[in-house]
Amino acid sequence: MADDILYSIRGLTVEYTTRAGVVRAVDDVSLDIRRGEILGLVGESGCGKSTLGKALMRLHRGPARITSGELWFDGRDLMKLSEREMPKIRGAEIGMVFQDPMTSLNPVQRIIEHLTETIQTHEPETSDEEAYARAEELVERLGIRRERLKDYPHQMSGGMRQRVMISLALALRAKLVIADEPTTSLDVIVEAKFLDLLKELQKEFGLTILLITHNIGVVAEVADRVAVMYAAKMAEVGDVNEVFANPKHPYTQGLLKSVPNIRLDEGELYKMGGAPPNLLHPPSGCRFAPRCPEAMDICHVKEPAFDVVEGDHLASCWLYQEHPEPAGAVS
Amino acid sequence: MTENKDSKPTKSIEFQDWEDELQRVGFVRRIFLARKWYGADWWFVAIAAVMVVGFILIALFPGWFAPYSPDDLVGPRFLAPGEHPAIPVLIVPQDSDIETLRDLAVAKGEPRPAVAVVQGLPTAGALNERAQAIDSELKKEDEGLRLRPRIKRYETLEKALQAVVDGDALAAVIQSTEFEAVADQFPTLKEGASIIGEISSSGGFILGTNDIGQDIFSRLLWGTRVALLIGFSASIVALLLGVPLGLIAGFVGGSFDRLLSLVMDSLYAFPGLILAISITAVLGPSVLNVIVAIAVLYIPTYYRIVRGQTLSVKEEVYVEAARSIGARSSEILWQYIFPNVIPSVAIIFSVNIADAILTGAGLSFLGLGLPPTIADWGIDLARGQRFIQTAWWMITFPGLAIMLIVLAFSMMGEGLTEIFNPKLRER
Repeated sequence: MADDILYSIRGLTVEYTTRAGVVRAVDDVSLDIRRGEILGLVGESGCGKSTLGKALMRLHRGPARITSGELWFDGRDLMKLSEREMPKIRGAEIGMVFQDPMTSLNPVQRIIEHLTETIQTHEPETSDEEAYARAEELVERLGIRRERLKDYPHQMSGGMRQRVMISLALALRAKLVIADEPTTSLDVIVEAKFLDLLKELQKEFGLTILLITHNIGVVAEVADRVAVMYAAKMAEVGDVNEVFANPKHPYTQGLLKSVPNIRLDEGELYKMGGAPPNLLHPPSGCRFAPRCPEAMDICHVKEPAFDVVEGDHLASCWLYQEHPEPAGAVS
Repeated sequence: MTENKDSKPTKSIEFQDWEDELQRVGFVRRIFLARKWYGADWWFVAIAAVMVVGFILIALFPGWFAPYSPDDLVGPRFLAPGEHPAIPVLIVPQDSDIETLRDLAVAKGEPRPAVAVVQGLPTAGALNERAQAIDSELKKEDEGLRLRPRIKRYETLEKALQAVVDGDALAAVIQSTEFEAVADQFPTLKEGASIIGEISSSGGFILGTNDIGQDIFSRLLWGTRVALLIGFSASIVALLLGVPLGLIAGFVGGSFDRLLSLVMDSLYAFPGLILAISITAVLGPSVLNVIVAIAVLYIPTYYRIVRGQTLSVKEEVYVEAARSIGARSSEILWQYIFPNVIPSVAIIFSVNIADAILTGAGLSFLGLGLPPTIADWGIDLARGQRFIQTAWWMITFPGLAIMLIVLAFSMMGEGLTEIFNPKLRER
């Protein structure tokens, strides 16, 4: 395995057991996260982005279950670790920033307690003063005055809380930060500041960030590479400029066309036909086929492989793959 | 003038909905909905808190407030509230050296001393009773002295007193209050000691006395101690067992949760007092057993509420965030879930105390809870019930005390609920 790859997801499948049946929210997904990059993960609501993000830390409980796959993080397969060993990884090596900063901090704990607790959970030998000093240094770096450390979460703004969440991940120098729609509930100005901060931190600490979002603009702004998910499957992965300039997968093409643009004077926004499939009964063949403007016969029958199109650019689409004419093509 | 004109329309804009509503309903509904309209939550809590603190003070130091010991037979039986006890005292001439009834004792064979009483009053009986008691004591001492006064009955108070002045009787036995009224007419007479021991004739009994001559007020004050002891201890025991069980069941879930919930629900299914009765019937009467019985009754209340809260807090993002920073289950339970669950426990705790006190009083009313030697409101109620037609005060005041203490705790609990739970606020 190449050394520049920090996290290698291989054939990950996450299933939710519901009353109606088993839903595969993440279906046989493979993805590499490289050291020091910001990887944007985009897709529609309900396509499995957040489920994938949580699965990377094995945070799932209850109805969700990782049924197969390998999670190679920094040379170890996290799937092989026991439930007792996982907390050592969480927080210390992989941090997470959640979507809603209003609810992601314990309302009855002061900010400083969040930080010192994180530090002391993983490094029990750290004294209170030491942990306090580290916390102070950290939040000042993130632009929160040290007096605010004694505040409770409800006394802070959304942007500040998101910075606190980041600081929790940074407190132990996590190698990977999974940011699950961190800017969705922030206004555009705070969002821009937060994204700038994210970029700075990535350079300064050599962080690797998985940025889960449905906002294409955010990805274009900060990400190095982008991964597009559709209906629990990986549709396309590649360099952000490359993918946005030259999208291969018809879904990505449609997605990019439906982004509102302030400069273009289009009369109406492009609307992709159809709706995302019901994951309880996914369509056979390529999942995008029913909505795809370029669908061929094979698309409805056989699923395409997730394969290299050119260089670093991967897509799962028959348009770019050799395909045999289906023997008994039903027409 | 122009200012007035300007201010009028602004006032009508500020005129709030509830004020509008207030105009349209009757007086009784105004009082019932006072909290809603006037935002009287703080009032309720403040009044209740003062009452609760008062009750706690009394329970801690009943001796400071109570004029008598709760068990002593300190006065006549069935004395109505505020009524002065009729205390028969000796009335003797100013120059007489007779102080107490005992001084009337004479050697065997000498003429028996004459004592004047008024016809038809209970003083004669009291005198007789008391004289016999002293006489039997004297017999034991064996100094040859006997006390067998000759009781002379007179038609009126004045005649009896005149007899003492004239020397027809050595002394008179008169109710102290009656003598005070006519003392001016008989300057040569003075009031001696009471003939029935050490009772002050001044204070009286604010809330009267019961069927055996105990002071009801003192018993009420001392009863606070038992009531609060039972209320607090039972609630605390129930809390200490119910809260951790609810936390763990809600957090762990699965079959443990189901089994425990089944047990708690079956406890819930019993009517409260009946379960407590059966437990105390098995354990026997004592304060500790009452506490245990009532605690068992309230464990499911805490369990249910804490379990439900835990189930919802468990799914909060900050709990997931805590796991994402590597917090272990025990840490999440005690640092994240417990502090977020505890406010609702604090509120039911206060209401629960009121309930426990009521149940405790109910138990001892039925004669199952406490040994009858303890000063307790429930026992006093049961006792008063027998004399409800002749001595209303015996059952009224313990009942009022129970009502007040329950009201205080419930009001505090409910007020706190409304203050701490913004969802219940309508404004």
